[in-house]
Amino acid sequence: MLIKLPDGKEIEVDQEGFMTDPKLWDEVIAENFAKLEGIEKLTDEHWAVIRYIRTYYLEHDLAPMVRNICKTTSLPLKKIYEIFPAGPAKGACKWAGLPKPDGCV
Amino acid sequence: MSFCLLYRIAVSCGSAAGCQNCGRTRPDESDFMEKLIYLDNAATTFPKPPEIYDFMFNFYRNNGVNPGRTGCDLALEAEKVIQETRQMLTKFLGAKGDYNRLVFSCNASDSLNTIINGVTKKGDHVISTVMEHNSVIRPLNHLKADGKITVDWAKADKKGVVSPDEIKRLLCKNTRLVIVNHGSNVVGSIQPLKEIGAVCRGKGVLFAVDAAQTAGMVPINMEEMNIDLLAFTGHKSLFGPMGIGGMFVREGVDVKPLRVGGTGVHSAYPYHLEEYPWRLECGTPNLVGIAGLHAGQKWIAKQGLDNIRKHEMQLARKLADGIREIKGVVVYCPKDLANRLPVISFNVDGFESADVGTQLDVDYNVVTRTGLHCAPKVHEHFGTIKAGTVRFSIGPLNNDKDIDTAITAVRDIAKSGVERAGKNKMVYEPCLES
Repeated sequence: MLIKLPDGKEIEVDQEGFMTDPKLWDEVIAENFAKLEGIEKLTDEHWAVIRYIRTYYLEHDLAPMVRNICKTTSLPLKKIYEIFPAGPAKGACKWAGLPKPDGCV
Repeated sequence: MSFCLLYRIAVSCGSAAGCQNCGRTRPDESDFMEKLIYLDNAATTFPKPPEIYDFMFNFYRNNGVNPGRTGCDLALEAEKVIQETRQMLTKFLGAKGDYNRLVFSCNASDSLNTIINGVTKKGDHVISTVMEHNSVIRPLNHLKADGKITVDWAKADKKGVVSPDEIKRLLCKNTRLVIVNHGSNVVGSIQPLKEIGAVCRGKGVLFAVDAAQTAGMVPINMEEMNIDLLAFTGHKSLFGPMGIGGMFVREGVDVKPLRVGGTGVHSAYPYHLEEYPWRLECGTPNLVGIAGLHAGQKWIAKQGLDNIRKHEMQLARKLADGIREIKGVVVYCPKDLANRLPVISFNVDGFESADVGTQLDVDYNVVTRTGLHCAPKVHEHFGTIKAGTVRFSIGPLNNDKDIDTAITAVRDIAKSGVERAGKNKMVYEPCLES
């Protein structure tokens, strides 16, 4: 389905709000997803998580294991749940433009 | 250290003897398992007792020829283990008659597909329950969608138990089959099979049981429980590997085969054999899987089924009592765990079940299963269809320390969950009977 982002741009997402075409993602879309969940400005910690997930996905066609997100970003899982209210899968992966992960995360 | 595939296999399978190829012994078990607290035994028991890995490895390495096909002593030895396993399981399940009616399959879903499709015909009515796994729900739904059968789903009470009277109420003139999940993989309720079986036998209706969660955990006596067909999987409480399962078909009941092909005997005959076990088995059998079941039967006999069950239920009670008193935690089982499996489902305010599972895994090394557990009707029944639940399921190798760690972990998670619940309003309704 088509949704309208806060900046007015429209994108296609699945029923749970994940992008159906991850190739169309850009950092502005990440900022828009964050605004939809009440986060007005992304911090360096947000970007560290998003960029790691995005890079891993582009290399492996998979979402990374949550353990690896924590290890690579040096952020404890509790912190990730604080900065991504919907958690690593439904929050961070969605903001990074991944399709809904079905296992690893 | 040089690479040796057989060493790596010996290590990963827990072989105490180490590698028979290069002679290296394996590191201490604690190197691998110290940090892992595996509480997902309803999905598959893990790890298996080391002697089971050893038996499978050595048997397949030394006797891995094609049983019933190759004309050599090794093949006879392999066939002997297969037939012994049929005999052991037939006795273990309290079945009477020809042990060749104990047939092997890939898993419980495979057996249930064979049973459901193999005994029903167009126009039949089937009764099942809301406590079923998709391994029963989906085969029935497909037959129904194809216009072949009609289906009624028996309701359960607030503890997840189906009354024999509910089954009786749903019986019709054309009811061919009643198929019931013995033990719920979500909430652990155990169904009164003997009484339901008596209802079916009295009306001349076939009674089939999905024993995926109970075979090897709860005593089963097919004869006393009036069970006509029983499906089991090998990799759960029977301690075999994944990829092996089976079913027992009572004498006087016949199941039409879904698959036909090679049997290794009567090769000139142009059609598939009607005799058991070949009737429901075709192609080369899963020899290493059956060897695992063989070793599993010996391990259960050595430990004693009652002792295993007592140990697991003691831990389940401790776990359920421990998390039930934590603020923000809702447990979906009654306080009294009599006649239940060691399966404890729960939710934590402020979090979806998957998020609790992720935190247990990553922060505490506690392995659970979250979501709907392939049993959507159970979650509809308990009002958890949207959020799912987190499920702890205990196995024979768990101990008090595992349970203490799990309780502490849930307490920590619930603390932050309660804070989140204030913001995201995700609060779970207590189960009426919890």
